[in-house]
Amino acid sequence: MVDTPPTVEIQAARKPRLSGASFIWVIPLLALFVAFGVAWQSYSARGPVIIVGFTDGSGIAAGETKLKYRDIEVGEVEEVSFSEGLAQVDVHIRLHKDIAEYVDASSVFWIVQPEVTAQGVSGLSTVLSGVYIEGSWDNEVGEYADTFKGSDVSPLIKPGESGLQIAFRTTTNGTLTDNAPIMFRGIQVGQVGRAQISRSGAFAITEGLIYEEHRHLISSSTRFWDTSGFSLSVGPTGAEIDFSSLATLIGGGITFDTFVSGGDSASDGEVFEVFSDKEQARNSLFTKSEVDPLRMSIIFDENISGLAVGAAVELSGFRIGSVESLSGIVDFNQFGDSRVRLNVIVSIQPSRLGLPGEATAAAALGLLRDRVTSGLRARLASASLLTGGLKIQLVEVEGATADQMLISKVDLPIMPTTKSETSDAAATVEGVFTRINNLPIEELLNSAINVMNSAEVLMSNGDLQKVPGNVSTLLSDISGIVTSEDVKNIPVALNATLVRVEGLVAELEKQRIAETLGKTLSSAAEAADAVTSSAAGVPELIANIQTVAEKAASLEFDTLIQELTSLTSSAEALISSPETAQLPVALSGALDQLNATLKELREGGAVQNVNQTLASARNAADSIAVSARDLPQVIDRLNTLFVQAGQTIEGYNKGDQLSRAAESALRDIQQAAGALEKLARTIERNPNSLLLGR
Amino acid sequence: MVACTRCTRAWPLGTPECGRCGAKLVSRDEHSLQKVWALWVVGLMCYVPANVYPMLKTKQLFTVDESTIIGGAVELAHHGAFGIAAIILVASVVIPLGKFWAVAFLAVSVRQRGGFTSHRRLLMYEVVEYIGRWSMIDIFVVAILSALVQLKGLATISPGPAAFFFALSVIFTMLSAQAFDPRMIWDAQDNDNEAPDHG
Repeated sequence: MVDTPPTVEIQAARKPRLSGASFIWVIPLLALFVAFGVAWQSYSARGPVIIVGFTDGSGIAAGETKLKYRDIEVGEVEEVSFSEGLAQVDVHIRLHKDIAEYVDASSVFWIVQPEVTAQGVSGLSTVLSGVYIEGSWDNEVGEYADTFKGSDVSPLIKPGESGLQIAFRTTTNGTLTDNAPIMFRGIQVGQVGRAQISRSGAFAITEGLIYEEHRHLISSSTRFWDTSGFSLSVGPTGAEIDFSSLATLIGGGITFDTFVSGGDSASDGEVFEVFSDKEQARNSLFTKSEVDPLRMSIIFDENISGLAVGAAVELSGFRIGSVESLSGIVDFNQFGDSRVRLNVIVSIQPSRLGLPGEATAAAALGLLRDRVTSGLRARLASASLLTGGLKIQLVEVEGATADQMLISKVDLPIMPTTKSETSDAAATVEGVFTRINNLPIEELLNSAINVMNSAEVLMSNGDLQKVPGNVSTLLSDISGIVTSEDVKNIPVALNATLVRVEGLVAELEKQRIAETLGKTLSSAAEAADAVTSSAAGVPELIANIQTVAEKAASLEFDTLIQELTSLTSSAEALISSPETAQLPVALSGALDQLNATLKELREGGAVQNVNQTLASARNAADSIAVSARDLPQVIDRLNTLFVQAGQTIEGYNKGDQLSRAAESALRDIQQAAGALEKLARTIERNPNSLLLGR
Repeated sequence: MVACTRCTRAWPLGTPECGRCGAKLVSRDEHSLQKVWALWVVGLMCYVPANVYPMLKTKQLFTVDESTIIGGAVELAHHGAFGIAAIILVASVVIPLGKFWAVAFLAVSVRQRGGFTSHRRLLMYEVVEYIGRWSMIDIFVVAILSALVQLKGLATISPGPAAFFFALSVIFTMLSAQAFDPRMIWDAQDNDNEAPDHG
């Protein structure tokens, strides 16, 4: 028996290559498989990369900026780089695979940024989230392309959209606003794209889109006009402000109307003119029969100012058109140097050329072309010597160099020119200065100073200064007359007379001396008449003074002084005239006589004649009856006398009015003197005012 | 004799199962190294996307911020939070990478002579096993953040794909470390000791 230890069942490390491998290796294999599966899936799900070039990549960031189509993310920017020569920014966009095939050669891309315009705010969401790239393509798979040119603004017409695509052209001096809406009855029916200036610079042109549902509104007789801004008109009905909407007021806009029916429906690519207002648009329909003007370009070597838009274009002195626009032009290829030339675009009315047959622009061009070969040239000429304005003359030049009218398809025909006939502007200016120099300014100043001096002398003249004194003397004289005791006594004396007369009448009844009484009364009446006539002169005096005052107000100093003097003297003469002086005396004389008569009657003859009187009592009684019949007449005459006396006194009261008139006359004189003084001071300070009138 | 690797009771050699805990008893797990390597590979595979893909997706009002592990740590460091950045870097980068290295080193050193003594290697193994779970700290942070910060519209934080891969990576490295049979360290020492005797 062999004492061997029991063989321990030791599992031999079996070494077959594969059988030794543990089941655990399945796990890493599975992991690998999953990893590769995922990798392959994500790789195969990747869309292609396209490259879009932009002029600037504002806000575009690799890995962040998205590509959107109809506002849904369809790709992402993977890389932003410069193209060769740094000309543009190349944006590499990884497209989603499902839309990749639709991104064909006709696709357009633009960057959406926040934009605030008069039409509204757009792209507001990009303020916080950053810009994104919007792509647009139609829904048909087309030609494959992977490089695109991006635009900075959204296209007017996006692929896949439809509408009437037309073009707009401004009339001369008209304006167009980018992206302006096209309104019709207040509804936006289309939009204008980005305006561009035509090559010749004469007008702006832009594409426009009328939305599909509104395209039937446009026909060949439709006229467009500009509604931007507002118009203000003042007429008999008041002021009127006209603007179509606040949006178009700020952001501009165009609208249209079809004024006449008929006209073919418009087709894509048609060009419409945009008129500046509705009237023009309407009128254009009717002036259309007057054929389009012939538009030509004339290039002047001289760079002369004075030619303005609207200046006349004349042929043999007859106006055939006008200047439409002016611009400078530099064209090295055409002229061989780089000088700035004056490019004038003129429009010529063919109907004014007297063309045989139909007057069309083409016929006019043909005529002018023929004439150019025989020497017709354009030149600048003075239109007005006063303003220095220029016009364009078409003249035939003898022995002109052989020259042709340049006619090209793309640009306006160019008319050859010749030397201008304009007066030398510099010479004109010099002449003006010479004339100014020759003006007798110093003499003018001297005479002005003389005028001032003599005015001063006149002011300080003693006579003139005495005028107020004289006038006041005159007034005091007059008031003296009015307040003189004699005049005041007149009514008293009259009263006394009347009392006496009353007494006399009473006595007459006793003494019956009517005849004498009648005589006495008549003589008293005569005396009263004399007073009246002498007093009648006073109103005339007042009138005279008023006239003088008026004349004084009209500042005729010489005559004023003379007239015032003569007035004063005549007033003095009147006052000192014997008639006036005797007026009270005569009155009192008359009364004295009356008294004396009465006295005589009482004392003398009456007593002596008493017997005779009694003897002829019957006769006396008869006479008294007769004289009693005369009494009412006597009383009437007395009344008249009183009225006249009252008037006389009233006339004297008018003296107050006189003094007022005189006072106002004095004030006027003072004001006039003040004005003269002011004038003198102004001229002293600023002698120029005499020349300039200011 | 064979010890149960789970409950450490020793049994006579040849006992198929641990009578106490029912674990399979083997003297040496022959497939140990294969398991270690297989799981190690999977862990490493998961560790790559864990670092490439974003760990956190932070949505603030309008901006979406995605940050990877290292990117997030760098960002934190930029903001001056060096301490937190260091913790994240240590927990998410240094420890996992150290574990990969340590496990690989142990697995290799079983077969070949290494510079370390067996004691050192055992210590290393225990440290790796202990520290492995701490790598999950990153996942916890992400989980807590995305659970807490859910303010609709204002700010939301959600875990990125890296969180998933990172968790997988940690799990697989832990499994890998556990699959290592530390007894093999002593086998290697025996070999080392025997070798000079036999000459």
